[in-house]
Amino acid sequence: MMELRSTLAGRIVLTAVATVILLFLALPIVVILVTSFSNNAFASFPPDTWTLNWYQALFADGSKWPAALSLSALVAALSTVFSLIIGVTAATALTRSELPLRSAVYALVLGPLVIPQIVTALGLFLLFEPAAMLGSPIAIALGHTVLAAPIAVLILIATLRGIDERLEDAAASMGAGRLTIARRITFPLAAPGMIAAAIFSFITSFDEFYISQFLSSVDTVTLPVQVYNSLTFEIDPSVTAISAILIALAILALALVALARWLGSGRQGSLLSVENTAGVANPGGETV
Amino acid sequence: MAALTTTAPARPRKLLASRKTRIGILYALPVVVYLLVLFVYPIFSTLFLSLKDTDGALTLHWYADALTGVNLSVLFTTLRISAETALLSLVFGFVLANAISRLKPLWAGVAMLIVVVPHFISALVRTYGWIIMLGDKGLVNETLTGLSLPGAPFQLLYNELGVVIGTTSMMLPYTVLLLYGVMRGVDRRLLAAAASMGAGRITIFRRIYLPLVSPGLASAGLLSFILSLGYYITPALMGGPNQTMIATLINQQVMKENQWNGAAAQGVLLLLITFAGLLLVKLVTSLGASRRKRSAT
Amino acid sequence: MAEHGVVTPSVETAGAASATTTGKALSVVALRKTYGDVVAVDEASMEIAAGEFVTFLGASGSGKTTTLMMIAGFCEPDSGTITVGDRDVTRLAPQKRNLGFVFQQYLLFPHMSVSENVAFPLTLRGVPKNEIRRRVGETLEIAGLSGFGSRKPRELSGGQQQRVALCRALVYRPPVILMDEPLGALDKKLRDQLQVEIKTIQQELGLTVIYVTHDQEEALVLSDRIAVMRNGLIEQFDTPRELFERPRTPFVADFLGAANFLPGRIEQHTDAHTLVRLDGSGGLLKARRHDLAIGTPVKAAVQPGRLRVSAPDDGFCTGTVETATYVGTLVRAGVRVDGDDAPPLRLEVPAGRGPVTGERIGITADPDDVNLFPTEQGG
Repeated sequence: MMELRSTLAGRIVLTAVATVILLFLALPIVVILVTSFSNNAFASFPPDTWTLNWYQALFADGSKWPAALSLSALVAALSTVFSLIIGVTAATALTRSELPLRSAVYALVLGPLVIPQIVTALGLFLLFEPAAMLGSPIAIALGHTVLAAPIAVLILIATLRGIDERLEDAAASMGAGRLTIARRITFPLAAPGMIAAAIFSFITSFDEFYISQFLSSVDTVTLPVQVYNSLTFEIDPSVTAISAILIALAILALALVALARWLGSGRQGSLLSVENTAGVANPGGETV
Repeated sequence: MAALTTTAPARPRKLLASRKTRIGILYALPVVVYLLVLFVYPIFSTLFLSLKDTDGALTLHWYADALTGVNLSVLFTTLRISAETALLSLVFGFVLANAISRLKPLWAGVAMLIVVVPHFISALVRTYGWIIMLGDKGLVNETLTGLSLPGAPFQLLYNELGVVIGTTSMMLPYTVLLLYGVMRGVDRRLLAAAASMGAGRITIFRRIYLPLVSPGLASAGLLSFILSLGYYITPALMGGPNQTMIATLINQQVMKENQWNGAAAQGVLLLLITFAGLLLVKLVTSLGASRRKRSAT
Repeated sequence: MAEHGVVTPSVETAGAASATTTGKALSVVALRKTYGDVVAVDEASMEIAAGEFVTFLGASGSGKTTTLMMIAGFCEPDSGTITVGDRDVTRLAPQKRNLGFVFQQYLLFPHMSVSENVAFPLTLRGVPKNEIRRRVGETLEIAGLSGFGSRKPRELSGGQQQRVALCRALVYRPPVILMDEPLGALDKKLRDQLQVEIKTIQQELGLTVIYVTHDQEEALVLSDRIAVMRNGLIEQFDTPRELFERPRTPFVADFLGAANFLPGRIEQHTDAHTLVRLDGSGGLLKARRHDLAIGTPVKAAVQPGRLRVSAPDDGFCTGTVETATYVGTLVRAGVRVDGDDAPPLRLEVPAGRGPVTGERIGITADPDDVNLFPTEQGG
């Protein structure tokens, strides 16, 4: 392909096409951010006048958004805690011990990530419906953990693999017990990975739609379900504002992950290297 | 003097193998129990439900239902839209990954960021962005009208075009990341070697480059196909009645018609197609691995 | 679970094993380790005195590292015992053995500064803060690292990192320090320099060290005694001089000195010497006295540096110089011996009066430099 580089025209065409594709990815997001400040939510673009009305409307009396927001936050927080507990133990088992049936356990962990979410959601519905747990935040959090925990496990496996196991041997040779090694060696080195695992578990749960929809009841509706409902049934212009907030949260979360990695690793590499961004996208470092 | 290599033997570092095994089992317990109860068991109960008649007897008629009439055409629609999505995201992904792999590191990082960030934004939100953009007075139609293109504004929403635009933009980050990895793995010296032997640009591309990346292309395409199969949000919000996909049907049967058995049968079908696709991915990957091994020797 | 409280040896124990301790520091009895059908270490036994520098020397797969790992506790022996001082540590976890370990890959804790790394083992032992500061400072000074205390490991060069690792292993004065090819990752010049430093520190502080390497020269420079290992067996455990001059097996003779092996038969004994009739050249080679029956087929081992040039027909054999390579102070020569179709005899002679290619020379050897091995021993 280095040969193709030789023609200027080819290069220009390729760059132009690539730019269009990048716009294809970025524009829907930019449009929401801009529209959320537009006076006339459904009219022309770019907007002629600006406003903060849609943001104010989110918290007006009778608005459904605050309840949905706090439910999603609660569920995501619970799910993050579950995922971290499962993630730390599972990653330890998979990287630091002799585990029989290791590949079976690994396949089980990958399962929820490759199976259509609607199938997982249907199964969870069949599990929780007879238990009369539909609409329970605990049930929704337990369901989200099925998706979030594998992500946490993959991130923490990559994290633990990145920590030279022999550092733990070195500490042991000096007389450090297992708890001391965990507290003074492994944990400080794994902290950026744990932060990343927590953040990705949180976003996974916060944005999850399928399981939430199957497990929600009339009065317990998570934020994504509320967004979906307002897009299908009741056109509520505030949905643009809430979408913009969701975008901002996602970007903030990614920035936090990148920052944690950068601070933690102390590597001199740039925050914006290809490896770094690709590493964020593929946190487990595994492809299916 | 005998030349001695420094290659260290496999470090014999395992202390008390049995204890390490016990710790491993103890630590693996939470994830295994959790997923068995909340993931594997529910899937099996879905399977049982799909085989159970209303009176509890064993039956296949839910599957017969799922594979006839409207349900069958929904299944075909699902396969068609997934195939279109896979093809488009593969082509776009190839072009973009190729362009990024030639950029200077800083610009490649910026481009990668634009690819990666949307991936972490809720699909629902991105779909909404498309709805705003593709409406009669949305950005796209305004631009096209502004360019006084004949026929503008176009109907870009609530039809198959809208759905495929939406699903393709959801799948694109996957294919770009996968293909970028594959392209970085191609040994550029092979291409230089071919050029030194007098091969032209097109020959090098067709005979050397493409064979090297084709397993990656195949698995990326298959993966986006599999992932599109279960899509619900985008077809439901951006499609018309003719773009109903299987996930929508499952949802309707549970939420509106209380027809769990039928939903379960369709879920199992979706699962089977997914497994078949994953099997193909595995096949293609091992094929690619053996090809790489051969090219390395 | 092995917990911290149980693990911590008291400060007194750590301090007691100091330079002045004499007698046995460590002993290993009939240590054996197998991996499946492969015997990694076969009945290794040895006793190491306090203040001694002992090296395990061998190629990869010889069992040297496995033996070290068993002493450290990272690998459990199938049978045998390991005693540190008077304490049987065979079945103890590494953290309970109170040994020091220096790894080839340094393994400094990346999130701690140099000082924190060196202080780490002391904090585990509950040493008071002032004491820690004093001992860390002292130790860094010994290794020439004063002023580097606040740096992070990644800001140091490889040689400096390994010095820190050394400090970290000796700061708590463990009775024995184990080193696993600590200089393996460094370049030749740095390696030579650090060898001298390690030896100096070891002697000054009277440390007991067990060192693993595959580099003969390094072993010779550093060690009081060397255990030459092959296929899981200790071939010979002796001082460098003994190994060099009185190798007990052809392998040792070859491994340390790259000896020439001349096949022959025992012809005759005198009071002090044994005479060997060489197979190829038919010459008579005089060796020091070996108790072997007349007529026994043997291999006579002589190191290239111990062969001398004489006038033709004046030595135990005569030949033609085939190759002569000048290597600094030495000339390495290959001599085709008359009547012998074996590969050329290798000689190393001082460069001044070195032979030239094509020259006819005789070859002699001091009987004391000739070691005989019955051919049945193989090799």
